[in-house]
Amino acid sequence: MSDAAIHIHGVHKSYGRREVLAGISLDVPAGSRLGLIGPAASGKSVIAKLACGLEQPDKGEIIVLGEDMVGKREVQLGPVRRRIGMLFQNYALFDFLTVERNVAFPLEQRGGMAADEIKAKVTERIKSVGLAGSEQKLTAELSGGMKKRVGIARATVADAELVIYDEPTAGLDPVTTQKIYDLLTADQVRTKATVLAISSDVVALAQFVDEIAFLYQGHIIYRGPAATIADAPDPLVRQFVRGELEGPLEDVRKAQT
Amino acid sequence: MKFLRTRIERLGSGVLETGRAAVELWMVYVGTVAGLFRRGKNRPRGELARQMHAIGNKSLVFIIVTLGFIGMVMTYEACMQLSRITGDYSQVGSQFLRLIISDFGPTLAGLMLATRVGAGIAAEIGSMKVTEQIDALRMSGVLPIDYLIVPRFIASLVMTLMLSVIGATVMYTAGGLTAQYSFGVNPNLYFDISQIRPRHVILMVIKALSYGAAIPVVAGFCGLRARGSSEGVGWATTAAVIGGSFAVIILDFLISAAALFLTGGDL
Repeated sequence: MSDAAIHIHGVHKSYGRREVLAGISLDVPAGSRLGLIGPAASGKSVIAKLACGLEQPDKGEIIVLGEDMVGKREVQLGPVRRRIGMLFQNYALFDFLTVERNVAFPLEQRGGMAADEIKAKVTERIKSVGLAGSEQKLTAELSGGMKKRVGIARATVADAELVIYDEPTAGLDPVTTQKIYDLLTADQVRTKATVLAISSDVVALAQFVDEIAFLYQGHIIYRGPAATIADAPDPLVRQFVRGELEGPLEDVRKAQT
Repeated sequence: MKFLRTRIERLGSGVLETGRAAVELWMVYVGTVAGLFRRGKNRPRGELARQMHAIGNKSLVFIIVTLGFIGMVMTYEACMQLSRITGDYSQVGSQFLRLIISDFGPTLAGLMLATRVGAGIAAEIGSMKVTEQIDALRMSGVLPIDYLIVPRFIASLVMTLMLSVIGATVMYTAGGLTAQYSFGVNPNLYFDISQIRPRHVILMVIKALSYGAAIPVVAGFCGLRARGSSEGVGWATTAAVIGGSFAVIILDFLISAAALFLTGGDL
């Protein structure tokens, strides 16, 4: 799988007795944009964390940007993580740093850039997410949407080879959502980065990614073009994407309870 | 039968979890010591000074007040007992000083710091853990132990020693004033340092440094194990206070026992 930026094969992950991932396999080709959808608590964020080595699988193979992520120590994972940009679901902004220092953080830690270069890059990135003038604010002074945008700026500032967005537009209004996806698209076109985007807003997500995979009960049960996701042959996927109350998803839920 | 099996399963998982926690604690300690020798380019600028201020300066009043009052109470009790038996106060000051330097000074300061500093470190790191800030650090290739625990470790080593010395001085002085004004003990008799030997001072330094090392490691470990939300931070804080205090008491016992062994009981 030399052309896959993310290669996940036969991965199992359980928390206690609850098996979240039951042997999933997923490849994300280099330079492509893959969307990952699924019901709440289906393990989407777990896949993102496994891909970054933030969590270790119980079983299975994970190769990211050509590096084996399984069984490695923290020190060994550092270099590959610096090539990945990650937007966390709950922002994960450093509350002891200003907006500017938060965005500059990955560049400062990576090293090799002069302070004025970092400053210029950070200023440009903050401006591009519409937060010019908020550089010296602490994250506690920001609204949820602003925090999300700072998170996006931090995830993309280092022009990473792989960017993982966990709910990039959750909590944002439709106009800001569109602006954010335009920004992410322009950014990806410029950097040719591989993108894995997790979102519950399937309609907006479908405009951003090439393909969408559907995670359900520990398995990827569908993967297909984003443009036609609403007409997917799988009735489970169709019901989820269309947001229908009646259908196989509800039948399974009722059977389980 | 099912009840018995559930009990055995719970006991087994409890033992396994304790074993895992002990290994993790050891790994945090080893990682912290290793972090002392790694290049500190990833650490925030001025963090060491900030931590020394947070651990040392901000604990100063707390240590002075608590150890001062303990010194007063202990001297008062000692004089009270002596007045009932012999009425001879000539040894109160010198023996109390010996006890303060070799044990009470560093140990009581350590216990106080385990509560104030340990809780603070665990709450800070724990809230970073549950808000995924620790994961964000890791994503930038930063080792959380290097970034968060090592500066606190160094600051705690220095400040626990300094606060132990200050606390011991206050404790002794407060005891002297109590002895003088409550029992009429001559200050020249009380403030007698002739029985203090270098080994007492060495013991104080060893204890203070050991506590200073244990408190941030235990607290940092508890913070890094925080799960969930604010409840997890609460758990981490409580565990840090209990674990830190426990570590101080165990270390006190082990170091005192080793000192007694090495000096042949002549402490």
